[in-house]
Amino acid sequence: MSKHRHSPPASRRDFLKSAGLVGATAAVTPPVVANSMPPIQSEKLKAALPGPRQIAAEAMPPAYDPVNQTSSGGDFMTDVLNSLGIEYMVINCASSYRGLHEAIVNHGNNKPEIITCVHEDIAVHMAQGYAKIEGKSLAMACHGTVGLQHAAMAMYNAWCDRVPVLVFGGNIMEADKRASGGEWAHSAVDIGEIVREFTKWDDQPASLQHFAESTVRAYKIATTPPMGPVFIALDAELQENPIPDAESLRIPKFEPVIPPQGDSAALAEAAKMLVEARNPLILCDRVARTAAGIANLVDLANTLQCGVIDNAGRMNFPSRHPLNQSFRRALIDQADVILAIEMNDLWGTVNSFSDRIVRQSRPATKPGAKIITLGVRDLYLKSNYQDFGRWQDIDLDIAGDGEASLPALTEAAKHLIDEGRKAAYDARGQKLAAAHLAMVEQAKTDATIGWDASPITTARMCAEVYDQIKDEDWSVVGTAIGLSWPHRLWDFKKRYQWNGVSGGGGVGYNLPASVGAALANKKHSRLTVAFGGDGDFMFNPGTLWTAAHHKIPILYIVHNNRAYHQEYMYLTAMAARHSRGVDRMDIGTTLKEPNIDYATIARGMGVHGEGPITDPKDLRPALARAIAVVKSGEPAVVDVVTDPR
Amino acid sequence: MIRSGRFAFTALAITLCAAALAAARAQDAPQGDAASGKRIYLREACFTCHGRSGQGGVYRGQAPILAHTALPFDGFKEVVRNPPNDMPAYSEAVLSDKDIDDIYAFIESLPGPRSPKDISILNN
Repeated sequence: MSKHRHSPPASRRDFLKSAGLVGATAAVTPPVVANSMPPIQSEKLKAALPGPRQIAAEAMPPAYDPVNQTSSGGDFMTDVLNSLGIEYMVINCASSYRGLHEAIVNHGNNKPEIITCVHEDIAVHMAQGYAKIEGKSLAMACHGTVGLQHAAMAMYNAWCDRVPVLVFGGNIMEADKRASGGEWAHSAVDIGEIVREFTKWDDQPASLQHFAESTVRAYKIATTPPMGPVFIALDAELQENPIPDAESLRIPKFEPVIPPQGDSAALAEAAKMLVEARNPLILCDRVARTAAGIANLVDLANTLQCGVIDNAGRMNFPSRHPLNQSFRRALIDQADVILAIEMNDLWGTVNSFSDRIVRQSRPATKPGAKIITLGVRDLYLKSNYQDFGRWQDIDLDIAGDGEASLPALTEAAKHLIDEGRKAAYDARGQKLAAAHLAMVEQAKTDATIGWDASPITTARMCAEVYDQIKDEDWSVVGTAIGLSWPHRLWDFKKRYQWNGVSGGGGVGYNLPASVGAALANKKHSRLTVAFGGDGDFMFNPGTLWTAAHHKIPILYIVHNNRAYHQEYMYLTAMAARHSRGVDRMDIGTTLKEPNIDYATIARGMGVHGEGPITDPKDLRPALARAIAVVKSGEPAVVDVVTDPR
Repeated sequence: MIRSGRFAFTALAITLCAAALAAARAQDAPQGDAASGKRIYLREACFTCHGRSGQGGVYRGQAPILAHTALPFDGFKEVVRNPPNDMPAYSEAVLSDKDIDDIYAFIESLPGPRSPKDISILNN
């Protein structure tokens, strides 16, 4: 494919370089050149004699125009990346960072390993999915103004999801070094401005030492809670040209920030409020960064014998823990003290909102209920994009990393719980455990409705998948069915068994982020599974080629309801509101006529494809075949034609 | 495909309404035409939130199960005409009374849940 990203063949840069090459050749091989020249015509001798300016120009030594070099700024940049332990560089190749690209391949011996993507949106989303599983950032490189704008949507998802992604973008800072045409269109004075409103930090280094310090700084900023994407501009001259002063360069030492624990007195106050509460409740969203985070949250819940409602921005709390009350939101209305840890949308969780002609809201909490918050999300906000959500009144607001602060909070609570409280705590815990068990049994009963129907119910689809992976070391890294059947029925307990959702709701996340997560799971030999929507799939189908090319094993189930289904429902609501026909709401909302055959698309990308499956009886054997492929180290797609939800 | 990845499991007023009225399930529901009701249920997009099998789903919160509904007819009709939550209100210009009769007959005819004990893979 020709991307037309390079300059035209006769660009100024290429012309000068080719001219330099000819000049050099002429200088070292005069006899050959002389012998090959045609005989001089006698008429030419009669031409006018050169003037003084021409004589002066010819007498000048040739401009300095070397054709080889023994060092490269890109080599040093590669060393910087490797000093950070970055495993992969996800890219869509481009001329503005060709210097770094070549250096990684040759100087770095393909370390970080280049992962070829067919769109920048895919590359950044892969980085987002990877980071949430592996707990660290990989690097992404894109092409100047155009590549960065393609990457921007995925960077916004990473920003909203508070996920570290280290993005590099090629640029040519010096105007007189740009070839005409593309290099001007692809350059910017302040390229970071494109994404500055949804990145934590950015810089445009002007020297190699500047690059080293800014890249290490950017990595540190990205991986310090609240985490987020960062951007570094890569000047082309800096990458491509020789290193002028190698002996003066130094790669800075990276030392991760220890996440801050909340103030001890404030945590003690929070513990007192929780211990004395009649019906305390824990809300959580993006708490656990490590396995210890899950264990710490379980310890606090067990100590208080209180319910936990998990919004599941990360894998925070075991799904089958008896205190898990995530599907009993009515508990919010009963709580007298609520501890909200690392919440993304606290207001939306403790208020109800109606999407009617007059949009209204009301608290979901009971009057007088106290709210304690613990987290770092609001320590770094920006103005324009409104992902920070609506203001929520708080009674005790503790700035501190949730995972880091939990042990101190739990210890403080344990010191306050005397024997007199234990009986009441146990009774509370038993009541919650019974409710949890009833919730699971109800979910099983609900799942039976339409069990043999076609299109296949999402409950049947999920049950069939779980039956075949439950004994594996599985990791679910994507969902297009909300957090419904798997979280209601499956046994989630390990940190990597779930990694949250897109963050910003930018469609096109699910397929590439799932493959990115699978890339992280690969070296741990985990069985990666994702449920993705058909609409999401069509944003970035080229992701499958990357999965095939790099042999990234993943079982990707397409929840194929042949629609942008949420929009289908919204459009129906609009028509009903206007008392107009709701029988044509498939216009502009559905993906049919023709139906899309996702298995065929997969096969076209070199990926094993099963389906479309319309009969639930065909699911089991298709999944078995696909899982066998995945366990052999390859990706597989199973296209399941499903009922809407 | 959905654009929101957030939990959508809020217990909505419609569910409470169903529970409250379950005991008073009407014996005097009109004799609707279930076959016609199925056509309307699918044509008028009821299935988009409640599922083709009436298994329920998710809109802006939980869309309740309708299969073999426990709602009395009058309660069902009231919810269709004047829902208490984010469900669209279907006026007579969109759904006639006869249409509602038929839809009710259809969802009443749908098989309700089975015992999960009969399905081994639901008991992992």
